[in-house]
Amino acid sequence: MTTAIPESSYSVDVVERSANRMVLSMGPQHPSTHGVLQIITEIEGEIVTKASPEIGYLHTGIEKSAENLFWSQASTVIERMDYLSPLTNALCYYLAVEKLLGIDGEIPPRAQQVRVLLCELSRIASHCVWLGTGGIDLGALTGFFYCFDLRERILDLFEASGGARMHPNYIRVGGLGRDLPSGFLEKLDGVIAMYGPRMRDVRRLLQKNPILQDRMIDVGIIAADDALAWSLTGPTLRATGIPYDVRRAFPYGGYEAYDFDVITRTEGDSYARFLVRLDEMEQSMRIVRQVRDALKPGPIAIDDTKVMPPPKETIALSMEALIHHFKIMTEGFRVPPGDVYQAVEGPRGELGYYVVSDGGNRPYRVRTRPPSLYNLQALKGLAPGNLIADLVVIIGSLDPVFGEVDR
Amino acid sequence: MPSSQTPPAGATALDPTAVRPDIADARIHRVPAAELRATLERLKGEGFGMLLDVGGADYPGRELARFDVVYHLLRIGRTATTLAEVGAPDRVRVLCAVGEADPVLPTVTDLWPSADWAEREVYDLFGVRFDGHPDLRRIQMPDDWQGYPLRKDYPLRGPALERTPRPSFALKSNVAAGTPASGKTAAALQRQIAQARGNSSFAPGSVPAAAATPAQLAQQPVNLKTEDTKS
Repeated sequence: MTTAIPESSYSVDVVERSANRMVLSMGPQHPSTHGVLQIITEIEGEIVTKASPEIGYLHTGIEKSAENLFWSQASTVIERMDYLSPLTNALCYYLAVEKLLGIDGEIPPRAQQVRVLLCELSRIASHCVWLGTGGIDLGALTGFFYCFDLRERILDLFEASGGARMHPNYIRVGGLGRDLPSGFLEKLDGVIAMYGPRMRDVRRLLQKNPILQDRMIDVGIIAADDALAWSLTGPTLRATGIPYDVRRAFPYGGYEAYDFDVITRTEGDSYARFLVRLDEMEQSMRIVRQVRDALKPGPIAIDDTKVMPPPKETIALSMEALIHHFKIMTEGFRVPPGDVYQAVEGPRGELGYYVVSDGGNRPYRVRTRPPSLYNLQALKGLAPGNLIADLVVIIGSLDPVFGEVDR
Repeated sequence: MPSSQTPPAGATALDPTAVRPDIADARIHRVPAAELRATLERLKGEGFGMLLDVGGADYPGRELARFDVVYHLLRIGRTATTLAEVGAPDRVRVLCAVGEADPVLPTVTDLWPSADWAEREVYDLFGVRFDGHPDLRRIQMPDDWQGYPLRKDYPLRGPALERTPRPSFALKSNVAAGTPASGKTAAALQRQIAQARGNSSFAPGSVPAAAATPAQLAQQPVNLKTEDTKS
């Protein structure tokens, strides 16, 4: 795929030319680009002098589709943005809708607890994918299986709760779609028990591995000022020393009730991002354990049949329940006009939804603030001066998800 | 072009941002286009160091100019190393209306480099241009796409403008880099694209040409036009 630049037909802007320079196109299906990303790199020998990421190959018009679905249907496409942590997307969107409806203070405690529980489990599952594939980028194949095995156990929990491994579509406006099934907590205890020893194994395999350390330490260093200028959030920002975590800065959905530390490092290199994510998984598990202990039986959705369908078993008994059920299923519910910005701490950083309602039964505008897009964009500033092999490490350490970048 | 999007039932507000309920998600400033730069520079000076997002919205029919470009800013300490130093982060939202006739706003890429892709996306999906942007071209849609998909009068489905999928992919992936794809030189691909564009009879809203012989069809660019089943 490489070629020396023909003088005449070269159409990318070139800062300077020399006999040694060449253009290398990585992607859009290069295995280490973690999706359909293309990076047009200019290299001199093995040193990258310029990198221009090209995105859009996975653009599916999710924001447009969402405008044409009912408020509660839209989460079907919204969960497909960040497909590694769909619940975080759905939670953020629904929190925004609940704010517009003015019911954000009425969500029952059990619903909030289960939402937090599943979101933290998705963070762990998402970081498992990052850790596994990030190891593969560097040739460490074994860790992948350890991580994906753990992730699969967590996906089993999602399947038990919502019915699907990847996109459970479990959260609803005002609460949850249904209660946790019997046997869920036993499975959860299994995951909690498995987590500690498994992560010890993974850390032993990867964290102190001299090859991985050689590849990651001092590679792709981001200074705190640059991180702010490039709008980096999440572990990428916290690895530069700035302890900004949406769960702490703008608590939502009941996160005030749990103890956890905001993990930071000051080095700002790929290894710092690696360690921040690893330690963050421990904190997520800490929250999961706290929720597990605090979980009490109770209602799982607000008692307002204007937005939440009445329980199925009441439909045959009550005419009103039948009418409400029919109305919600056929024309949805209406949301008072207004606009709202809601952010949550996704696995990749601040995930925000700017939701506009014009008073109708469909969202008027759903704008996502995708953390991956901004984190990936920083590659333009990060890549120059690095070896082309290190570019793979840097992409891995930014952890982009292309469903979210391209939407 | 008439929209095939289903109109929402019960829509009441032409400009939802004007009638929003009292939700404490951010401080909101609505500024005219002429004051946008000055406002954002002032806010940056006040410590709103991070530009979280630039988004767009389309409100046809309202009194204000048609498009809103929305800037989300976050105040966060630049040198903070502990939670206490970060203090209470704060959000500000700046809305700026821009008209349909000449949708141009000044760029903020010189204030925040991260505005680059976000402004390109607003341009790509809404057609709002940013004066002074270093590289304003489409980002999500193919380079030769026509129309701005997130505008409300752009149909959800129906008359598709996907005229030359293969060459436009080549344009994005190979020609720009000057690398030959499948044995073809970049110049040959450029010629192929120019040819395909010249041949295309699928201008927006036009009716496809009458049935042609298989040989002629093979010469034509791929047409993915589908009937509008929604409206």
